[in-house]
Amino acid sequence: MTDVTLKINGETRSAAVPPETTLLKMLRESFSLTGAKLGCDVGDCGACTVIVDGLPVNSCLMLAGQADGREVLTIEGLATPDHLHPIQKTFEDCASLQCGFCGPGVIMSSKALLDANPNPSVAEIRDALAGNLCRCTGYTKMIEAVQQAAQVMRSAKSKRAA
Amino acid sequence: MTKKAKPARTAKAKSAGIGQPVEMSGTLRLPAVVKQVPFPIEALSPKVRQQTPAVGQRATRPDGRLHGLGQTKYIDDMAFPGMLYCKIKRAGIASALIKKIDTREAEAMPGVMAVITGKDIPVNSFGPSIKDQPVLADDRVFHAGDGVAAVAAVTEQIALEALDKIKVEYEPLTPIFDPVEAMKDSAPKVHPPVSNIYATKLIKKGDVEKGFRESYKIFEATYSTQMVEHVPLEPHCSIASWDANGRLTIHSTLGRITLGRTDMARTLQLPLSRVRMVATIVGGNFGGKNEITQEPALAVLSKKTGRPVKGTFTRTEEFIATTTRHPIIMNYKTGVSKDGRILARKVRLVLDGGAYCSWSETTLGKACILSPGPYNIENVHSEAFVVYTNKTMTGAMRGFGAPQVCFAYESQMDEIACELGIDPLEIRLRNAFHEGSSSPTGQVLHSVVVKDSLLQAAERYGWKEAR
Repeated sequence: MTDVTLKINGETRSAAVPPETTLLKMLRESFSLTGAKLGCDVGDCGACTVIVDGLPVNSCLMLAGQADGREVLTIEGLATPDHLHPIQKTFEDCASLQCGFCGPGVIMSSKALLDANPNPSVAEIRDALAGNLCRCTGYTKMIEAVQQAAQVMRSAKSKRAA
Repeated sequence: MTKKAKPARTAKAKSAGIGQPVEMSGTLRLPAVVKQVPFPIEALSPKVRQQTPAVGQRATRPDGRLHGLGQTKYIDDMAFPGMLYCKIKRAGIASALIKKIDTREAEAMPGVMAVITGKDIPVNSFGPSIKDQPVLADDRVFHAGDGVAAVAAVTEQIALEALDKIKVEYEPLTPIFDPVEAMKDSAPKVHPPVSNIYATKLIKKGDVEKGFRESYKIFEATYSTQMVEHVPLEPHCSIASWDANGRLTIHSTLGRITLGRTDMARTLQLPLSRVRMVATIVGGNFGGKNEITQEPALAVLSKKTGRPVKGTFTRTEEFIATTTRHPIIMNYKTGVSKDGRILARKVRLVLDGGAYCSWSETTLGKACILSPGPYNIENVHSEAFVVYTNKTMTGAMRGFGAPQVCFAYESQMDEIACELGIDPLEIRLRNAFHEGSSSPTGQVLHSVVVKDSLLQAAERYGWKEAR
């Protein structure tokens, strides 16, 4: 067994898992955080995307042991009891998700993008979401939602600054 | 937009606005779901012969918020106490007789709770129409993705390792992969003694030979399409469990649970009243989750072990062991007048059905009926065959054969237009269905707007300017 201690959504958590356990499996099975999904298990579909130390990663390709001591943000850590995250809100408003299975991964990739680049172009959004496959929507509404969320987040930031 | 519809939308938008508190209930950690505003159905119901005002309105999905929060519980997000994990050993050989399956070494592994083969399934066959698909192949392998044994173990990892310990002896047979070759009498039979051609359809209207004789020019071409997998982001997954009274509960991603329930009752020889199917939220279906796959095997494993058993397909299994879209080889012969009117069309479709029938009969029918296209043609002859081959089975997928034939007849329309020097839009307008047209099967059509749609599309796209 491998002992893993990491910060998940702001809380320090520990688990003892078999060494072959992926970060995804640990999140889903040891911590019951089932928001990240297993779609392909080979890093193609992006349904398992979480943010590790600020970067979006395919959690099905990262071993739990590799996440030891790191900071992980999952879809469950985005909303607060009172507020949706702007990306979650705009994804709902734009009806960007149909079956929703890819949603948590797409939203986490979008979050990582907007944290690094508050005003991305459509090409940059497409590039950031290239690792997230969706079979239902055709992506257009997701790109709209990311653009809208970027706008909301920018205006919230400038309000805080003023 | 009607007045009634508008306040409902803004009311919802306000209550869920960014930066505004969402209704809370109890001590729930995450935002509670906003109270549903009833969708204004009455205001949106169309009057007779009127476009519904619903078109062009914005609507959000009632489940959209939970999807975005990652709170939607798909089946793979569920677990029951004591649950075991099932993995299925795939044949990896397209056509063979199974001589022997030795599961002893796998059964002896610590953590392995049960191993079953096709012999353990009470009625080892299923299918929506022809019951030609085994749950686990017992005597014979029909395609490489066939399951030959299933393992239930305490972890997925152990179940996977156990698969390698199962020894299967095969006697290889000559496989057949080409559907046209498979139609010949000399071809090896996929399901002997049954013919490889397992369903046909013929549609005749008028006299095609007369039509060809009167034609200014005759066009002949062959078109073909490939096999397509649905690739739902969520793989097939089910959980089987029994209660102490001998009742079976299946939690499953199946789209058609009532059909699945009858299939379960039949394969397990249970009264229908003893089978309960619970449909979980589906993470993409597209026609690929319309029938049972591994569920009877999970039920038998669950009964043997007395514990719930979950089976999740890997992405590889999604490609090799679930249904796909039919590849079709399409021969088109079309006679036209000098001004581009279609006088006669003869179509021959060969559908590659793969190893099992599944929804092939439905697909065959739809492809055949739609094969002449949305055009007024007096003389039509369309015949279609669906053929067994030793490949992954084909079944339901969005459109049931319609997209394949559309690719063929529209390609040929372009070729005819080019050859006759007629504008591709114009040749379609000259031939397209109009109000009261009759389809190749004699159905009189109403609300026909194909010409209006074409003209509108051409205008918006800038068809004339682009030429």
